[in-house]
Amino acid sequence: MKNFLAKIPEQVKRLSVLLVILVIVFIVVRSTLIPNDFGKIGHYRASAVQNIANNELHYAGQEVCVDCHDDIVAIKTKGYHKNLSCEVCHGPSIKHTESPDEFKPQIQRNRSFCPTCHEYLPSRPTGFPQIVSASHNPRKICVSCHNPHNPVPPVTPKGCEACHAEIAATKSLSFHSEIPCTKCHVANEKHKLSPRDNLPTKPTTREFCGQCHAEDANSPKDIPRINMATHEPRYVCWQCHYPHLPEAQ
Amino acid sequence: MEELVQHLTPILKEITGYIFPNEVELHWGILIVLYPYLTGLVAGAFILASLVKVFNVKELQPTYRIAMLTALAFLIVAPLPLLGHLGHPEKSYEIFLTPNTTSAMAMFGFVYAWYLMAVLLLEIWFDYRRDIILWASKEKGIKKWIHKIVSLFSKDISEKAIHFDKKSVKIVTIIGIPSAFLLHGYVGFIFGSIKANPWWSSVLMPIVFLFSAIVSGIALVLIIYMVVTPLRSKPIQMDCLDKLASYLFYVMIIDFSLEALDFIHRIYESEESIKILSELVSGKLFVSLVVIQLLMGMLIPLASIAATKIFKAPSELKKMVYFIAAILVEIGIFTTRWNIVIGGQLFSKSLRGLTVYKMTFFGLEGFLAAIGILILPFIILFILMKLLPPWEEARNP
Ligand code: HEC
Ligand code: HEC
Ligand code: HEC
Ligand code: HEC
Ligand code: HEC
Ligand code: HEC
Ligand code: HEC
Ligand code: HEC
Repeated sequence: MKNFLAKIPEQVKRLSVLLVILVIVFIVVRSTLIPNDFGKIGHYRASAVQNIANNELHYAGQEVCVDCHDDIVAIKTKGYHKNLSCEVCHGPSIKHTESPDEFKPQIQRNRSFCPTCHEYLPSRPTGFPQIVSASHNPRKICVSCHNPHNPVPPVTPKGCEACHAEIAATKSLSFHSEIPCTKCHVANEKHKLSPRDNLPTKPTTREFCGQCHAEDANSPKDIPRINMATHEPRYVCWQCHYPHLPEAQ
Repeated sequence: MEELVQHLTPILKEITGYIFPNEVELHWGILIVLYPYLTGLVAGAFILASLVKVFNVKELQPTYRIAMLTALAFLIVAPLPLLGHLGHPEKSYEIFLTPNTTSAMAMFGFVYAWYLMAVLLLEIWFDYRRDIILWASKEKGIKKWIHKIVSLFSKDISEKAIHFDKKSVKIVTIIGIPSAFLLHGYVGFIFGSIKANPWWSSVLMPIVFLFSAIVSGIALVLIIYMVVTPLRSKPIQMDCLDKLASYLFYVMIIDFSLEALDFIHRIYESEESIKILSELVSGKLFVSLVVIQLLMGMLIPLASIAATKIFKAPSELKKMVYFIAAILVEIGIFTTRWNIVIGGQLFSKSLRGLTVYKMTFFGLEGFLAAIGILILPFIILFILMKLLPPWEEARNP
């Protein structure tokens, strides 16, 4: 046995000692530092859930604001911003609800704030009010024209393009640029005031397009004609041609 | 909140096309670019060193120890960008205590520790052991003690012990090569395995990463060798330099073909992502991908090294060409990482829109922090070179 030990090179002995020390340190550290409740319900401390629940609160929630700002809440619940929480714009305000005079919530009046939601983005759903802030009444702050708690355009827009800017821009480049929106959509004047409650009509049948494009249609000569009976009779036209930018491929 | 708004508003204006709201801001910034760059340098430098030991390339002997120390210095810094990016560096040890085997990212800690301790430190220790013992016996003060501790108070410098050292270095190197491949292939794997991202998801990714890593490692050792040797007023050995340059050349050719293969493969496959990717490459990534990575970082160095070979340039000219080529290669590989990490996040998963990356200047994830992390390995290398001089004449006879 002694002979065997003597045969092991010196280096290996020293490295082994180091390795043993490292392993022992690792085991000791592991057993002391891993919390007891680790892994009980998942790859984390079970008590972490409680710790997070105990964190200091920052947001009060809209219900609390009613107690003192019932006037504003009353306006807001009727307007377009009814689904926004007060603290989306005013920031975390729990301290303010506890001592209103000491802590004032933030008020965002600069022009860069509202565009975080309203800047024009193609991924926002159609109909969501969007503007191009660089050209939408620049140099004046938004709240000088729009009441943030009940935002409506200060004047009833005249044209459809005020709210449907993308569609209007697309159409203006298309073969249909000369056709007014109201030729295809019957829009009540009220649609411009509360659009969702007074939706305009949309064409529903193939024959609608046929008014101009059918071979026997009573319309200007230069309009391209199709045979309504043979030209894809099983589909409505806008399954293939986008009506605001029609093209024939 | 004000800050957030100020940060987001200008980005919103530069978005093109359709992009989901959570893609507007990039989550992986400059620090995550640094991370594969640094680990790549480690793996590359180490593989260069291994050539000396395994294939007995005599000409490269002067760079062997430099390469090992370089790998060590960069390996020490490699996890820092991750820690900076994730935040809470004081909690990082926890990934060792409670290993999460289902997370490739969490397992990096173990790959890293294995490489550091079982490969790099061990090889350096065996290689230097005899010299350290002899240095310690001649020195005084704390340097003596540092050397004593580093040698683990080892004393045996008999013929037999030295022979054992040499054999061990060889064995460790042979384990080390697959480990270095693992270390950097792993980094490529992290990106290559993200199947939701067509810019990253590719089985070739680990291999491309590996070869570009070797390219950058060789170029780095070449630069360090060319800078340090004149500083010590020693002559640069031309045969060593030529060998380095030709290795650089050959590995670059492999790297280039792999990347070309990947590229052709993508174009031929023409998956649904090809439109947005070509928009990306011809638009936001044009300068960094085509001009810097491909032209400056690949074609110009390749052509200039080839030219020195063909026209048998005089050594002064060759030195200059090699040096400039190596620096261009370093810049090129950095932009390779940039194009992968940043490029992969610039387009929307809807494949219909692009966003922009705005780097901050200050802060943990800013430009300054990145520069600091890039400089740090050179400081560590300087200290290592003082403690463990890698020069031939420092070896004891
Ligand atoms: C306990 C009553 C109380 C509650 C609850 C309360 N506030 Fe107030 N709030 C006040 C008072 C009082 C003022 C001061 C009015 C003044 O200065 O004219 C005020 C002022 C404000 C201001 C204007 C600050 C300024 O700088 O002028 C904002 C904004 C505000 N509150 C938002 C909120 C929001 C949001 C909530 C709900 C999270 C809320 N408040 C809940 C009492 C309350
Ligand atoms: C769309 C963002 C937004 C939301 C949501 C919002 N506010 Fe405001 N609020 C503002 C802005 C902007 C001002 C500043 C108006 C000004 O300067 O004319 C303001 C001003 C105020 C003021 C002080 C001035 C005033 O008109 O009396 C109070 C109080 C207030 N808000 C309370 C509330 C409460 C309560 C809610 C939730 C019911 C709420 N706000 C929701 C943006 C918002
Ligand atoms: C958190 C996101 C958010 C913020 C911030 C926000 N809004 Fe809105 N805004 C909405 C939503 C949601 C609607 C309702 C859209 C709808 O009914 O489809 C809306 C509606 C509007 C409308 C109605 C447009 C129309 O069709 O008549 C105006 C005007 C408006 N907001 C202005 C503002 C102004 C000014 C601010 C800044 C003080 C602001 N918004 C901040 C989400 C936001
Ligand atoms: C005040 C802004 C505003 C103006 C002005 C406006 N609209 Fe709208 N419009 C809307 C909103 C909001 C919707 C709802 C979008 C949604 O629900 O997706 C809408 C929806 C529509 C729809 C789709 C209805 C549906 O069933 O999907 C049509 C068509 C339409 N508008 C046509 C018009 C026309 C034509 C005009 C001009 C005469 C016009 N709109 C002017 C805001 C406006
Ligand atoms: C000078 C007054 C003025 C200012 C300042 C102003 N707006 Fe408007 N805003 C209008 C008018 C008028 C309309 C009606 C549509 C039109 O004519 O463009 C409108 C319409 C809107 C709409 C509805 C668009 C739609 O598609 O439904 C939104 C959203 C809006 N504004 C947001 C803002 C935001 C955000 C700011 C600040 C960056 C702002 N506005 C600044 C006058 C103003
Ligand atoms: C040639 C006839 C035609 C003209 C002109 C036209 N539309 Fe339409 N529009 C349609 C048809 C058809 C649909 C239905 C498409 C569908 O259901 O998919 C439609 C759908 C819509 C919708 C709801 C779906 C969507 O794409 O968002 C809106 C909003 C709308 N139109 C607005 C307008 C506005 C604003 C104009 C004028 C700038 C206009 N349209 C001009 C034919 C027309
Ligand atoms: C008021 C008449 C009118 C109506 C209704 C109408 N169009 Fe058109 N359409 C035109 C005119 C005018 C042109 C442009 C002809 C030109 O300038 O070449 C056109 C062009 C087209 C083209 C382009 C053909 C080409 O040469 O590329 C298509 C496709 C088309 N319309 C489809 C439709 C569809 C689908 C509808 C039903 C939603 C429709 N149109 C309704 C008048 C109309
Ligand atoms: C299944 C898809 C489909 C449907 C549905 C469809 N089209 Fe087309 N349309 C096409 C294609 C494809 C072309 C181009 C090739 C061709 O000329 O047949 C075209 C061409 C046209 C043209 C241009 C013809 C010319 O000579 O330049 C017009 C106008 C047109 N369509 C109108 C309509 C109208 C109106 C309807 C509804 C009654 C309709 N289309 C329905 C696919 C469709």
